[in-house]
Amino acid sequence: MTDSLFDAGDYNYDDVKALPISSDQPGELCQIMYDDEYREVMGIARALLKKHELTERALHAVSEAIQLVPAFYTMWNYRFQIVKQLHGNDAAKLNAELDWLDEFTLNNPKNYQIWSYRQALLQMHPNPQFPRELPVLQSMIDDDTKNYHVWSYRRWCVNYFQNFEHELEFASDLIARDVYNNSAWCHRMFVLKSQFNSQPPAELLTTELHYTKTAIELAPQNISPWNYIRGIHLEFLNDKFDADIITFASRFTSDIFESPASPPQILSSYALEMLAYVYAQDPSTHEKAKCAYQALSDNYDPIRKNFWDFRIRSLTA
Amino acid sequence: MGDLSLKTIKFINAQLLGRKRPTIEVVAEDQTALESSPVSMTFLSTETTEEREQVLADCQDLYESLKNTEVTLLKEFHKKYLDYPFNNALPKQMKALDASQPWILYWIACSLRLMDKTWLGEPVQRKIYAKIFAASLEKGPFCGGMGQDPHLVCTYAAINSLALCDSVDDCWSQINRQAIYDWLLSLKCSNSGFKTGVAVGECDSRSTYCALSVAKMLNILTTELCEGVEGFLLGCQTYEGGFGACPQEDEAHGGYTFCATAGLSILNSLHKCNILRLAEWCSARQTAEEKGFSGRSNKLVDGCYSYWVGAVNSLLEIHGYGSFIDKGALQEYILKCCQSSERPGLRDKPGKSPDYYHTTYVLMGFSLTEHLLEVTKQTEPISVKSTTNGFQLEPVNPVFGLPAEDVTKFIDFMSQLPQVC
Repeated sequence: MTDSLFDAGDYNYDDVKALPISSDQPGELCQIMYDDEYREVMGIARALLKKHELTERALHAVSEAIQLVPAFYTMWNYRFQIVKQLHGNDAAKLNAELDWLDEFTLNNPKNYQIWSYRQALLQMHPNPQFPRELPVLQSMIDDDTKNYHVWSYRRWCVNYFQNFEHELEFASDLIARDVYNNSAWCHRMFVLKSQFNSQPPAELLTTELHYTKTAIELAPQNISPWNYIRGIHLEFLNDKFDADIITFASRFTSDIFESPASPPQILSSYALEMLAYVYAQDPSTHEKAKCAYQALSDNYDPIRKNFWDFRIRSLTA
Repeated sequence: MGDLSLKTIKFINAQLLGRKRPTIEVVAEDQTALESSPVSMTFLSTETTEEREQVLADCQDLYESLKNTEVTLLKEFHKKYLDYPFNNALPKQMKALDASQPWILYWIACSLRLMDKTWLGEPVQRKIYAKIFAASLEKGPFCGGMGQDPHLVCTYAAINSLALCDSVDDCWSQINRQAIYDWLLSLKCSNSGFKTGVAVGECDSRSTYCALSVAKMLNILTTELCEGVEGFLLGCQTYEGGFGACPQEDEAHGGYTFCATAGLSILNSLHKCNILRLAEWCSARQTAEEKGFSGRSNKLVDGCYSYWVGAVNSLLEIHGYGSFIDKGALQEYILKCCQSSERPGLRDKPGKSPDYYHTTYVLMGFSLTEHLLEVTKQTEPISVKSTTNGFQLEPVNPVFGLPAEDVTKFIDFMSQLPQVC
């Protein structure tokens, strides 16, 4: 393997003949002009895969291939088969694999394949540890606070280990850093719904509502906490809103209901939207609901006119 | 609140991205901004608002400079961008898509076909099925490329690519429906979702939609395959109204919301989700300033959501619930912000480069704004036709992400074939 573009590391691949990685048919559509390194590395990895070789040197070849194209899912499948065969029940070796994966993850934050591979590893691990997962997740979110895959994986992990201890605090830290981080707001709802089997204690709901109101006071025109307040009511309070929450929302809508003809400047269209929703629940306040939806349609959020008009129509019907 | 309404509060985060940052409060007065806007500009400055302000400025510049210009879709111009990869090899950095080759074919072929049916001629259709079949085990299921493992979302892209080929050389008859069916059954998880591959792979609303779409297209959607899937998808709807990746309170997201609602449409179960919340969430994706859609609350506008979110709106429309978006405004975003006369192809937003993915989904989103769709069979609202004349693009089927006519032809063809077991 002299003059090879494939870094063999500590292993010997002299007996492995690289497989072709494309048909090389003339006129093939969208043929990629593979460079020689890619052809060789991927060709060797594919040759080993074809033999179904589950060895340390195969693992090394797979690592080399994945480095070149992280989205190459076939190599992740193969990697899993190798690791299962070689380290299946060995906690220390699986931890070493997780170490490798941590580093790979930090260098490839947008990759799709890492997370299901990671789940598969933990499910195979004889003694998986939740604290082992936290630093890499923290670091990934620090760098990209709304990374969808990381948040989703974190929720999977929390459910898997049934450890909700750090979650509200984790979300609070991110909301303190950026009150508009909707991923962090959603994480709070995840905790409320998953930790308590959809029946969170009343005190916790009170605390959450208080927390959310404080965040709204800092930045009233922010859809995330308003959605969260409505979500708490929808999921846990039979969608019934008490006088306190109506008074609170009214603080952000000026005197809109007194002077709809000369619309005042308001602090939050989302507050008005919530009031409209609440007023629409009771026939005695339908006129107020219509007034609010009309104001949203005409003045405060006209791009959503079709939705507001739909709401008005359903109130009239 | 009186004090607040007179002043703009700004919190400036001083350190670099990626570090925990202390929050510093700065109070500033900005009377002009306050007076011009019906909603007070009182806000905190954070990463979210800083990024959005940059995008807003870029969009405003374009809207301002094109204010009195009648902009149309530059079809011939974009054709150049799409013809190139069908006539030339792709540069080596495209190896990043080496495991997604059916997607490249689907995106390019679908875009050409939407702009002009004749732009996808028989010689290219022959090359498409040849390449798709070469990247398969026995003509189904399909893989990302030659010698790779079968993959569910690649199989979706492969079937959609084949559907664009008019069964040239009778290629539709050659698809191995039985093998695809058996494989789909093997991908079903204990939570009734489908995972992308047998060994490892994600199981979410996206992979589950791909399974349903492939099965419906091929007429292999049996009761056994469908069992429990509706519950899986309904479980992905969140308190915000949109749908997330997995039924574990994942954040509502444009792409996953499309997948879940299109999947529910295939199962004839869309009415079982919370329609009001869904309609509200859909409409909230559009903002007055950018005019295009974001994929999640407090995220940036992106042209691809013209389809992902636009198609959800179209699904609501063909199910008789109405339309909840401003289609005219969306057209303006697409024509002025996703299109540039300097470079062919369509893009995410100003400042980004065009790519095949965005070109397809921006075009499909544009088509949905042009056509009024109507279902061809009321009992099964998955096949549509357009009732509109004078359009720039062919009508799109918002369930399968293909020109409406191609879907109808493909499904009609498959309905003549024997059942699988």
